[in-house]
Amino acid sequence: MVAGRIPAAQGIQAISFSAAPRRGAVSIIEIAVLASCIVAAIVVSNRYAVDIMIRTFLWAGLALAWNIAGGYAGLISFGHAAFFGIGAYTSTILLLNYGVPPWFGMLAGALIAGCAGALLTKVCARLRGPFFILSTLAAGEVVRIAALNWRTLTGGSEGLEIAPVPSVVDMVFKSQWPYVTIMVAYMLAMFALSVWIEQTRYGYYLFATRDDEDGASAIGINPSHTRTAAMAVSAATTAIGGTLFAQYFLYLDPTHVISPDISFQFALICAVGGLGTASGPVFGALIIVPLSELLRGLLSQSISGLHLVIYGIIVIIVILYFPSGVSGAIGRAASRLFPTAGFTTRVQARKL
Amino acid sequence: MLKLDAVGRQFGSLWATRDVSFTVKPREIVGIIGPNGAGKSTLFNLVSGAVVPTTGVIRFLDQTIDYGKPYQVARRGLARTFQIPKPFKQLTVRENVMLSALRRHHTPRQASAVATTTMEFIGIGELAEASVASLTVGQLKKLELARALATEPVLLLLDEVMAGLTPPEIREMMTVIGSLPKRGVTVVWVEHVMMAIMNVAERIVVMHQGQIIAQGTPAEVSKNPAVIGAYLGEKYAYAAR
Repeated sequence: MVAGRIPAAQGIQAISFSAAPRRGAVSIIEIAVLASCIVAAIVVSNRYAVDIMIRTFLWAGLALAWNIAGGYAGLISFGHAAFFGIGAYTSTILLLNYGVPPWFGMLAGALIAGCAGALLTKVCARLRGPFFILSTLAAGEVVRIAALNWRTLTGGSEGLEIAPVPSVVDMVFKSQWPYVTIMVAYMLAMFALSVWIEQTRYGYYLFATRDDEDGASAIGINPSHTRTAAMAVSAATTAIGGTLFAQYFLYLDPTHVISPDISFQFALICAVGGLGTASGPVFGALIIVPLSELLRGLLSQSISGLHLVIYGIIVIIVILYFPSGVSGAIGRAASRLFPTAGFTTRVQARKL
Repeated sequence: MLKLDAVGRQFGSLWATRDVSFTVKPREIVGIIGPNGAGKSTLFNLVSGAVVPTTGVIRFLDQTIDYGKPYQVARRGLARTFQIPKPFKQLTVRENVMLSALRRHHTPRQASAVATTTMEFIGIGELAEASVASLTVGQLKKLELARALATEPVLLLLDEVMAGLTPPEIREMMTVIGSLPKRGVTVVWVEHVMMAIMNVAERIVVMHQGQIIAQGTPAEVSKNPAVIGAYLGEKYAYAAR
């Protein structure tokens, strides 16, 4: 109430803090996790470890982008690899053919992917649940096949290669630290965007549309606009991740970049971490990405495919026993340990 | 306030409502009664813009409503409750009510203040931080009403808000609904609990097989032979005397 009378205080009041992860607030646990990510990015120097960190932070940012549509708006998409691919290919084609720096190219990719996402949602406006999911899967495949066959533009199955000549303008670096910095920045920006959405009017419109469309319409929310905007933002931010991916790996081909596996991975990270929360995708990526990399590194030599079996079992256990993800489990544990601290323990996430 | 002119809606070969005409004046409480399948809920879906009429015209505040766009109708000041409550399941009671206030009060903080007042008025103030999943049927019905009122409507459509409530809850709800015209809210109310609607509504519209068979004060319709035959039954007619 005091903040209402003192305009200067409103900026501070706008961000609320809590102990355990809670919607629309930044929790101590989240700050601790994100801060240790930054510290790790500065301190760790082992090449292999830094490589895993780069992938983890990139995937955390991408999962946060997916979560805007899949978690907040309830638009479970298995076609996000298409937006990822659009981002990666747009900036790379602009760089290779026209010399446009990826710093600008990624904005072009985001714009195109955002429009594609909006179009997809408008076209599939009447589809719900599994039917919407299948249509996104099909849309993703259309983009993959188009990229495979449009050889003059995408290089087809041979792919595109970015020359490994270090240049800040071209976003190509010799050492790993600029990449770690960029990926951490991407993850933090996506986290901030998610928390911001959660506490705005628009964020609540998303939750309402997700939970009950008729109920949302009855209080004056246009469900179609709300959903379309969510998908556009999610697609655009996914495309930015696509550009970052291209600039780190310096090679693109449709089979790997626009594959449904990539889309499933986005959804899986969110499901494990906690769907529809800002912290969930971060926790999910911190568990899933290093786990899959380590298992592949340790076990792929002994029995081929064993690492995938173990990885699958771990994922099934998490989804079975933590339906609201790691984020929800942390909230519940905190409320059990400190019952008087007023933690919010609402189950915000659902099973996929 | 609200004017229906020969409104009808056909589903396949069945007319769910047919040739329905009536007018609602500002600050009036109009009750709609009739047996199940009489077309009452379809009528609400038509007026709220969720269903497009096959024939006829619906005018709200002297303007034809945007058929098929319930959110446009809602923005012009029409709120409704649903027969089967449609809460936002992953949110708290407060957030559910606050969402309704967000269109007029742009920040969640301001909308939350409106939500608090509305929840107190309906009598669910102490449930504010509860999860919707933990509510009883009666509490869900109250939440439904609170959500509709938090949009600050001029016209409120109530769809069987008394169903599933205990007698004390019904009496509480009757007081709340009865006080709405004083707050500038016009009410159109579908109900099966006759004790409630006959005591609170000023005018009753009786529907049967998609059409209006009688209109008048509660006393008038309860003596109408056509209404007794189609819906109320002999027993009610005696009780009403």
